[in-house]
Amino acid sequence: MTALRGRQAAAPVAPAAPVPADPPDWVAALTGEGPEHDQALRRLHGLMLAAARHQVNRMRGLLPWASHTLLDELAHDSADDAVTTLLAKLGTFEGRSRFTTWAYKFAIFQAATEVRRRAWASREVSLDDVELRADTSAGPEQHAEAADLAGAVAQGMRAALTAYQRKIAVALLVDQVPIDVLAERLGTTRGALYKTLHEIRGRLRTHLTATGHLAPPSTTRDAR
Amino acid sequence: MSRDQRSRRLTGEAARSLTLSTEPWLSCEDCFRLLDGYVEALLSDADRSRAMAVHLAGCAACAEEAQSLLLFVAGQDGTDPAPALRRLRAADSQ
Repeated sequence: MTALRGRQAAAPVAPAAPVPADPPDWVAALTGEGPEHDQALRRLHGLMLAAARHQVNRMRGLLPWASHTLLDELAHDSADDAVTTLLAKLGTFEGRSRFTTWAYKFAIFQAATEVRRRAWASREVSLDDVELRADTSAGPEQHAEAADLAGAVAQGMRAALTAYQRKIAVALLVDQVPIDVLAERLGTTRGALYKTLHEIRGRLRTHLTATGHLAPPSTTRDAR
Repeated sequence: MSRDQRSRRLTGEAARSLTLSTEPWLSCEDCFRLLDGYVEALLSDADRSRAMAVHLAGCAACAEEAQSLLLFVAGQDGTDPAPALRRLRAADSQ
């Protein structure tokens, strides 16, 4: 399985070259020098390219205009950037997972971010303080509860949120702007925007609990 | 500016997401730091962090990357991802 995996991953990088085996100690190999380092780096790049291609393939529907060549270039660029990021963070690997699982997440993150960025590159992101109306188009009775909640949330957003919070909430959860795309447009980070969204949810829950639209929180569970 | 440009329909799904409890708090940065271990725990059905499950339910971008990593690792290992995917989705819906 390992050999097959290696051929699939490394072939596009260096088709004629034999696929290096996984080093027994990735961190030592990548921080060392000489042939062992070079082999480990080539093996790592092959694995990262496979992970980036997997991610681009999952999200290719967001880029219907993109050619196969462009998508593959995107995967290569993402793998290159992910390897650079990983090498800079090599000292943070704590061994809580296999090294390869830890590595793959860098490629997947980089490729997903890049696909979303390109998908929204020519799209305007509106940050107007818009009026929200409950969507009552669903019709069936079983959706009445959801429509009631939507109406209460629309009112609650006016009562409990600042204008900035309303704009962020609408962009992320109504207009479905990806959080990393919105962060880039606003010159902030994905983490900072998620923190804002967390605060928005907390304020809305407090308001809607007070107005009787949400049940009070029950017992808390440990976070671990 | 027209009324359509100045207003939006709020669906029940969006309303539920806006009122989702995201306690216990976990940042996107910590989610990324813990993601590899969480995915391996899903694949082996080991103990998992509730804070991670809560975060993935509330952050679509992190959830996409978690599901993708799970599928990729399972594919590399030649294992069936379905049980771990069910565990991931069950955690999201709690």
